[in-house]
Amino acid sequence: MASADSFLHLARPLGPAQITTQPSTAPLSVTVQPQALFSILDHSLRRNADQERVIGTLLGIRSEDGTEVEIRNCYAVPHTETAEQVEVDMDYQKEMLRLHHRANPKEVLVGWYATSSELNTFSALIQNFYGQQGDGTFPHPAVHLTVSTAPGQDIEARTYISAPIGTTPERAADSCLFIPVPHEIKYGEAEKSGLEMIAGAKDREDRTQPILTDIESLERAIEQVLEMLERVSNYVNNVLDEEAQPSSALGQFLMNALSLAPKVDPANIERDFNNHIQDVLAVSYLANTIRTQIDLSNRLATAALTMGTGDALGESAKGGEQPQRGGGDSRRGGRGRGGRGDNRQREE
Amino acid sequence: MADALRDTPLRAVQVEALVVMKVIKHSSQSFPTAATGSLVGMDVNGSLQITNSFPFPAVDPSTQDGHQESLHTLAAAAPRAKSNAAYQNEMIKFLREVNVDAQNVGWYTSTSMGNFINTNTIENQFFYQKEPNERTVALVHDVSRSSAGSLNLKAFRLSPAFMAAFKEGKFTTETLQKSGLRYQDILVELPLTIHNSHLLTSLLHQLPSEPSAEPPSFPPTLAALTSDPTPTPAPLCPNFDALELSIDPFLEKTCDLLLESIEAHHTELNNHQYYQRSLAREQTKINAWQAKRKQDNAARVAAKQTPLPEDEWQRLFKLPAEPSRLETLLNSRQVEQYARQVDGFTAGVTGKMFAVRSNLLPGEAP
Repeated sequence: MASADSFLHLARPLGPAQITTQPSTAPLSVTVQPQALFSILDHSLRRNADQERVIGTLLGIRSEDGTEVEIRNCYAVPHTETAEQVEVDMDYQKEMLRLHHRANPKEVLVGWYATSSELNTFSALIQNFYGQQGDGTFPHPAVHLTVSTAPGQDIEARTYISAPIGTTPERAADSCLFIPVPHEIKYGEAEKSGLEMIAGAKDREDRTQPILTDIESLERAIEQVLEMLERVSNYVNNVLDEEAQPSSALGQFLMNALSLAPKVDPANIERDFNNHIQDVLAVSYLANTIRTQIDLSNRLATAALTMGTGDALGESAKGGEQPQRGGGDSRRGGRGRGGRGDNRQREE
Repeated sequence: MADALRDTPLRAVQVEALVVMKVIKHSSQSFPTAATGSLVGMDVNGSLQITNSFPFPAVDPSTQDGHQESLHTLAAAAPRAKSNAAYQNEMIKFLREVNVDAQNVGWYTSTSMGNFINTNTIENQFFYQKEPNERTVALVHDVSRSSAGSLNLKAFRLSPAFMAAFKEGKFTTETLQKSGLRYQDILVELPLTIHNSHLLTSLLHQLPSEPSAEPPSFPPTLAALTSDPTPTPAPLCPNFDALELSIDPFLEKTCDLLLESIEAHHTELNNHQYYQRSLAREQTKINAWQAKRKQDNAARVAAKQTPLPEDEWQRLFKLPAEPSRLETLLNSRQVEQYARQVDGFTAGVTGKMFAVRSNLLPGEAP
């Protein structure tokens, strides 16, 4: 067993390499989407008590030339590992891949992950399984992502691709050269708000976070802006006091930012402002009026009305709902659209 | 014990961060078509913990006739489709092998501008809630509102009163009067919290990588600063989308949707009105027939003949069936949803606008 940081795993004796179909080992850049990472961490938490590490399949998108890989999704694959042998449930892997393809036809197999940063002979074996011809990622190299989840240490993610290495053909299956490749964590616009919400829980004891309303998130954003302004003005003050190192470029940048404030006539501002606020309030007012009207319309349609004559209910037992309508009109002004609809109802 | 557990109603929903991310990814990928998927998790003392999710198979556009509308309906109806039920069972069976909570606790759907209260949603949730282990929820993720600032994720269940009514499938005026079901009672919203695992918390704490020990050197010129490629947005940098001042698109869309709802409401009212007119017509005919029969009978009695039966009209005349009020109910609930949405939006946007004004006109700030 090798130390955690070595990338080369050879099985002796060394012999002449006889590998003809060489998969490409071009360096590539890997981007990881946070949800794949989250999923790996979740899987790591759910491992069996006696398992050191768990593995799974990475799904994602590969660029045309194969130099960029985006890991978008992943799923866990059960495996057992002992000192002598490793067993990966290949049927499970195939079935899961098929199921995932039905939901996400665009995502292809790109590699596999393990939840320990250790690379050993079994890693090489699994790596070769994932990179093989047929079901594997051939001719592109399989990406191997390790996420260390050892307690008390930083969570560390590393990505590798592999190259076959010169050994005898019999031992080629369990040896390979892991080449570290750079990776970065990236997320899209849509995920930003979700991640921000999730990150909001990171400093809380119970690790939970209720959903914020619009106005609360606005408050948060404003607080953040204020904090940043504070930092900038602190810096500027320090420069003025000759405590911090000045930078003309930064000064210019700040000046430019300040001069972004448009020079417009106050009257124009006032007018535009009023127009817009009126728009907003009008829509809000209308929406609420409509809501009230619809509410009224619903109540009138279902309410058993006994206005004036006491026997209205008795009549309604036989004649369906006609008599109930009769009482409705005296109560309402018939204003707005909902009102009109209702007025028509009582025509009969 | 089991009964006691069954009787405690669901009070809250706790969603794992992983599920939040999966739902966001799936729904933003398939936008504007609705994305639907299944949720798994477990129920702990009245709080439903949703720990994992998986999407339902995408509807293949090539097999359909490419019609946008039918594609959308198919996608929205996915949760209760037969093939997907099989898919779900298969997936859960596989997930069980890797120690994921193998219990279905509901489904999720994506929507745009809160436009989700329709027959599809109701039927899907009914499909899930009528099952014996009926502790299931519907998670609704609003894509367009989440992109404008804060995450918009809600959990809903059908109220027991609505469940009973829907099971009978009768939504006539009479049954509504009897049950007292109002449109406000169709859906019950459950409070929703997001929960992180310990590992995730630790990851979040170290994602913004530590600043380097020595302060970064200052850029030499302004051009270098503005064209510097390195400051890519670091993970978890603050998000200022909430400060966006674009008002018109939102108002426009909401107005469109509101008009649509009113239109639907109007159609329903017309249907009802038509029903009532024909009912009244039939009723008059019946009355006339009854009066005539009475007269005849009086004549026959006078002539010492046996009177004809008086309840024959039930065979001769057929009263029209009352149209279901379900659509009206759902539509009303939808309007309520829009109105609340506008209220929330107005609250935020007026604040922002006053802030902008006092910024531009400092002298006149109150």
